[in-house]
Amino acid sequence: MGNNPVLEEKILTKRESKKGSAQPARSPRFDFNWAWLGVAPFFLFALAFLFLPSFSIVVRSFQGVDGSFTFKNIIAILTESDIINAYQASLSISVITAIGGGFFGFLLAYAVILGGMPRGMRTFMVTFSGVASNFAGVPLAFAFIATMGNAGLITRWIEAIFEINVRQMGFSIYTIWGLSIVYMYFQFPLMVLIMAPALDGLRREWREACENLGGSAWQYWRYVAFPILLPSILGTMILLFGNAFGAYATAYAFSGSFINLVTILIGAQIQGDVLYNPGLGNALALGMIIIMSVCMFGYAYMQRKTSRWVR
Amino acid sequence: MAFLEINNISKSFASTVAVQDFDLQVERGELVSFLGPSGCGKTTTLRLVAGFETTTQGKIIVKGEDITNKPPNQRNVGMVFQAYALFPNMTVGGNIGFGMKVNKRPQEEIQARVDELLELIAMPGLANRYPHQLSGGQQQRVALARALALNPEVLLLDEPLSALDAKIRVVLRGEIRAIQQKLGITAIYVTHDQEEALSLSDRVVVMHQGRIEQVGPPFEIYNFPKTEFVANFVGTLNAYNAKVLDNQRNVLSIEGQDIQTAQTLGAYKNGDRVMIAIRPERLSFADGQKKVNNLACTVEEVTFLGSIVRVQVRTGEKTLYVDTFNNPYLELPRVGETKQLTFSREAVLILHP
Amino acid sequence: MKKPNIWAWFILVIGLIYFFLPLFSVFEFSLRMIKGTYSFEAYRVAFTDPAFFSHFGYSLLWALLTISVSLLLVVPTAYWVHWRLPRVRPVIEFITLMPFVVPAVVLTFGLIRLYAQPPILLIGSPVLLIAGYVVLSFPYMFRAVDTGLRAMDVRTLTEAALSMGAGWGTILAKVIFPNLRVAILSGIFLTFAIVMGEFTFASLLSWPAFGPYMEEIGAMRAYTPQAMAVISFLLTWASIGLFQWIGRGAPGQEQVAGAH
Repeated sequence: MGNNPVLEEKILTKRESKKGSAQPARSPRFDFNWAWLGVAPFFLFALAFLFLPSFSIVVRSFQGVDGSFTFKNIIAILTESDIINAYQASLSISVITAIGGGFFGFLLAYAVILGGMPRGMRTFMVTFSGVASNFAGVPLAFAFIATMGNAGLITRWIEAIFEINVRQMGFSIYTIWGLSIVYMYFQFPLMVLIMAPALDGLRREWREACENLGGSAWQYWRYVAFPILLPSILGTMILLFGNAFGAYATAYAFSGSFINLVTILIGAQIQGDVLYNPGLGNALALGMIIIMSVCMFGYAYMQRKTSRWVR
Repeated sequence: MAFLEINNISKSFASTVAVQDFDLQVERGELVSFLGPSGCGKTTTLRLVAGFETTTQGKIIVKGEDITNKPPNQRNVGMVFQAYALFPNMTVGGNIGFGMKVNKRPQEEIQARVDELLELIAMPGLANRYPHQLSGGQQQRVALARALALNPEVLLLDEPLSALDAKIRVVLRGEIRAIQQKLGITAIYVTHDQEEALSLSDRVVVMHQGRIEQVGPPFEIYNFPKTEFVANFVGTLNAYNAKVLDNQRNVLSIEGQDIQTAQTLGAYKNGDRVMIAIRPERLSFADGQKKVNNLACTVEEVTFLGSIVRVQVRTGEKTLYVDTFNNPYLELPRVGETKQLTFSREAVLILHP
Repeated sequence: MKKPNIWAWFILVIGLIYFFLPLFSVFEFSLRMIKGTYSFEAYRVAFTDPAFFSHFGYSLLWALLTISVSLLLVVPTAYWVHWRLPRVRPVIEFITLMPFVVPAVVLTFGLIRLYAQPPILLIGSPVLLIAGYVVLSFPYMFRAVDTGLRAMDVRTLTEAALSMGAGWGTILAKVIFPNLRVAILSGIFLTFAIVMGEFTFASLLSWPAFGPYMEEIGAMRAYTPQAMAVISFLLTWASIGLFQWIGRGAPGQEQVAGAH
């Protein structure tokens, strides 16, 4: 859809004719240089505020304090226990919420789209998922502290019902699992948002063709529907992984620096001088960019697979 | 007893009646098409036979066995869907062998059957392609092979060619007919394309508003339509409101002129109004030799359609179409010219309302 | 499949509890400022704090600036690409998706390292903040405008207008823009929702905004921050709700989420 052979051809012939002779009579409508000028502001902006900063991170990851080339920073992020722990924490929380959010999100999307719900419930759920998937950061952290924090609603209920003091039992929500529950709040609505159209894309004829050939409902899911949905499910889970991996505000507002995630470490780098070495901060950020790039490629690959199947 | 009996079935959705009193007996090896405009109930009837909808009333019997209340996955009828409906995640081989796979047949048997069917649809060696790598025509052939894989008692085709280009449509309908005859399989073919229905069926069922209008061989449906709807839907038509003048000698009056018909008017009284129809190709301009019936007319428009030339003429209040074969050495009528139309007794068809 | 399914309802109820319990909790908490009774005291306190309004005002200002810059960059670019450089569209789309690859924290880090020291000093003006927000808004803005443009066949419309002698100004104002109104509004509401609650950029670049303000008083006081969380949620609800309502029926308007 993005390629337009006709226009491409016009641009190509123009380029050739320009090489041949300088014809003053040519119409400015198909002037090649002119067309590129139209996207220049956008590219300049992206260069200045997206690519140069990212690129500088890559370069500085390989620079020592004095600016000379070194692998020290890279080696440091692979060996320093603080940093390894941070990556471990970030990776576990991302995996937990990607799988958990993916699973429950899929179930919820299935329930709403194919579970025979009234039409209104479905519209409500999709709208609400749109809100919830964008409801993150500070207010979300407050909401969960008010729910399961020390004076939270659930905490009070549990203490009242079981007459125990949760805090004294050494239970804390400021752990990876606690934070995962918070992250799930924007993770699984995102799964619902993406899976709802995918479930809608399952054509009635596929089910009927399967039935017609003697297949049971289970066989339809096992051989047809699930394999068709699988790339979308995996792709979205990769997206959820990246979504959690890059999250900063929610974690910061929820637990401060209780849980050392990679993003929290980088934030601390910006605000102060925790590691005393700017090169190390760059290397940390580089690690994130690499992991996120892998995620995006994985997602794009799955997308391509789906779009080939379901048109 | 017929091979497939559709006994007086009706189907209503919430407030609308989709199919009403549909009654049809199909013989073994026969290809019957359901022809009608969209919403006439033809697809619903097909889906009732496949089991995707449940009948409100009536019975469906295959080989003497009542399948009316059987779930679709136990009916052993094959279905070819309008938009192919191939499973996109499976190869051609996987699609064709799917029915055998879910029926737990051994792998070698599936393999052999897939190869055999690929041979039948003239696509040998393409078992490992995916549907999205095939053209529309190829996809529909695979869908046909998939529907035939389990040797179904009845093959159902739901507008199988409507998503394809005109040229491929003509080729493929010939192939479908050839395969159907080769296998001797009983088939129902749903279409809204009259040419398709006429060219490949043993019998055509013309449907309108959930009811059967007329059932018969293509030749009969075209040449002797019983109702105005059939005459109109199948082919182009000149319809006239005529008055019965003499019900014994079969004389009618249109536009103040007497005409004779070959059909009997015994059922009518003199002075009754009836609808009559004349096909455009049964009309011709009188060049000396006159037939029984004649009408004066003025030429309004001449349209060149390739193999035929369609002339629009006016007789009194009425506009008529006259089709003549193209002949490069013949002079075309000119607009404004006054001509004599002539036609035989047999050309005048009496329609039932 | 046609009749409501027990399991479907069960999952839905679990989901709804999970969705609404935190909202209910924070709302309940915000009402408990006066001991022993429920009251809207926390809201009164929040609304009488001049700092609340100034920070909220700053966020509004950032949102406005972000939306303007984002529109100015994205709309003409997307239009131009559809009309003259369709080959470049995938490249633009790729760039607009970059915020998913470079999370906000990382981008802030890179921006500060690059522009907070000589030779280029941009740290004294909100340029970096707005630039960051604009980058953040790219996926939403571009997607919305791109779907809008795709639905209207830009080339034919533009060529038709040109053949009737319309100038570029007329084409943009009378042909393209009216057809893009829904798409642009969708982009605006989404961007607004994101910027109003944004924390990472504002906090790390040290600019006053609603998000950092909430976090700050959250560390000092109780009840009022919860009241603000409720207000913030209502704000998100309103803008996304409006976005969904405006975009209803329009194809391909489902959104992607940002990094939080």
